[in-house]
Amino acid sequence: MNKVSITLFVLAILVILSALAAITFGPADIDSAQLLNCLVGTCQNQIANVVIWQVRIPRVLVALVAGMGLAIAGAILQNTTRNPLADPYLFGIVSGAGLGATIANISLADNLTIALPLAAFLGALFSVVIVVFIAKVLRSMEQLLLAGVAVSFMLASITQFILYFGEPFATNRVIFWLMGSLARVEMSNFYVIASILLIAMITVFALHRQIDALLLGDESAASLGVDVDKLRLLMLGICAALTATIVAYCGGIGFVGLMIPHIVRQLIGVTTLKLIIGSALIGAIFLIWVDVIARSSLPHAEIPIGIITSALGSIFFLFIMYRSRAIT
Amino acid sequence: MSTLLNISGLSWRVPNKAILHNINFNVSKGEVIGIIGPNGAGKTSLLRCLTNQANILASKNISGSVQLKNRAITQYSAKEIAQHFALVMQKNETIFALSVQDVMKMGLLPHKTLFSLDSDHDKAQITLALSKVGLSHAANSHFNLLSGGEQQRVLIARALVQASQILILDEPTNHLDVYYQHQVLQLVNKLNITVIMTVHDLNLASLYCQRLLLLNQGELICDGSPKEVLAPKQLSQVFGLPCQQSIDAITGATQVSFYLNNTDTQDNYFLESLGE
Repeated sequence: MNKVSITLFVLAILVILSALAAITFGPADIDSAQLLNCLVGTCQNQIANVVIWQVRIPRVLVALVAGMGLAIAGAILQNTTRNPLADPYLFGIVSGAGLGATIANISLADNLTIALPLAAFLGALFSVVIVVFIAKVLRSMEQLLLAGVAVSFMLASITQFILYFGEPFATNRVIFWLMGSLARVEMSNFYVIASILLIAMITVFALHRQIDALLLGDESAASLGVDVDKLRLLMLGICAALTATIVAYCGGIGFVGLMIPHIVRQLIGVTTLKLIIGSALIGAIFLIWVDVIARSSLPHAEIPIGIITSALGSIFFLFIMYRSRAIT
Repeated sequence: MSTLLNISGLSWRVPNKAILHNINFNVSKGEVIGIIGPNGAGKTSLLRCLTNQANILASKNISGSVQLKNRAITQYSAKEIAQHFALVMQKNETIFALSVQDVMKMGLLPHKTLFSLDSDHDKAQITLALSKVGLSHAANSHFNLLSGGEQQRVLIARALVQASQILILDEPTNHLDVYYQHQVLQLVNKLNITVIMTVHDLNLASLYCQRLLLLNQGELICDGSPKEVLAPKQLSQVFGLPCQQSIDAITGATQVSFYLNNTDTQDNYFLESLGE
């Protein structure tokens, strides 16, 4: 086995260990012996059994797939646009989801459990349709990213306009939702995110050589037989579906797609296969532990997970900038 | 020698201008052809048409035909074209730390199916190609940290992995110093495949190409051996400068030099260019 395979193998084991360890954290006191008993079905304590199977496990599993999904969405976008700063959030996906959630909150006050994620998903999809439409008009990748930022601000301003005139209670709900949280996730959320993640992974594995070819420029890729425009639209669509689903259930969790692929490039490699597998594993570990911090650092409250990822992400970026300054 | 490529009546018109006008020529297997001409003569446009890049021949501004092995190039899929033509372009825009190995693997793409991984045979091909361009030691180096000449050689090696019959190079000697200019062109000559390249330096073109195509304002002015194409009268018309032909004492190749008539005109020329 070469160095890359060993690294990936170790990371995969860390994902499993992190997930198991994360189940033991939380308000109810559950130790590893109890956990083991409940996992194999020989549980003595019924309360522990319910907590583990209906609260902790869905939450850890959603953190796992959401971390994977956000990280690989960032990795795919960065490789297909040749821009290390590309991130699903820059394409207006979260602003679109925010707008959808706002409209749902203001107009349908009851039955929000289904309506809120659905509206958020539709909003995210709406923003992606706008960005993709602009992408068809603009051929240059730099312009596409700027267009994404513009769409993002446009949708955010509409959201703020609605919130400003909306009732304070609904406004609060939207603002808290945008901060991101895994407190209300269910097992069904895991299945939905996991299936989209699976489709995304299979597509990327199928097309990994085509995506790699883009790394040396569009012209070079075209000369190797790649339909550059079609490939990029397909990848943008996959990232959008992935991010929109995660945002719809978990709210705004920023910086994961930006930060994780950066670490993977330093640690494992830049080509698509290595980058995607590495990002999925490190993204999962990262979000599992951030969620542990979110639910167990304050005695009787949770910290919204998006606040933690944004704080860590921004410090991380300043650190990267500082370090690259030291090198050059 | 069998005909590989046949270009006939190729024209590309945009409003008020002909980018290419009624171009006709054949390319035989094993030829090393240089396309020369002033800036804007249509050299790069011609290369783009040869490989039907971005399905350019489907554009209604373009007429005429390009045939590869007696079949219209428009009937080939993008993958098939990539199996026949390898391109070495002027600019490479990567910002990620790709290794030379990573760049080489791209050459496998036209021969691979979806989901495929690299086989031992692929790895052996890559090692062989790198040794042919003298870069065996650099397999794990960062592509971006190589010199311009080394990057060109990696891309030529990638073309070898691509196993195409025709190598197309757009200004392969641009941004290279004299040593690398000769090294790259010598390498291209030794590969024993068909080569079509645009070259700015006429003397380099003469030294390393068996056949030259002189383009001017979209027209193919002359097609022949370096000695025929680099005829002084013809060149001075195309480039707008008096020209003299000579034979290089060491290489025996036809060489040309351009000069300005006398010091008077030279002064006037420079003053005019300064706007005085």
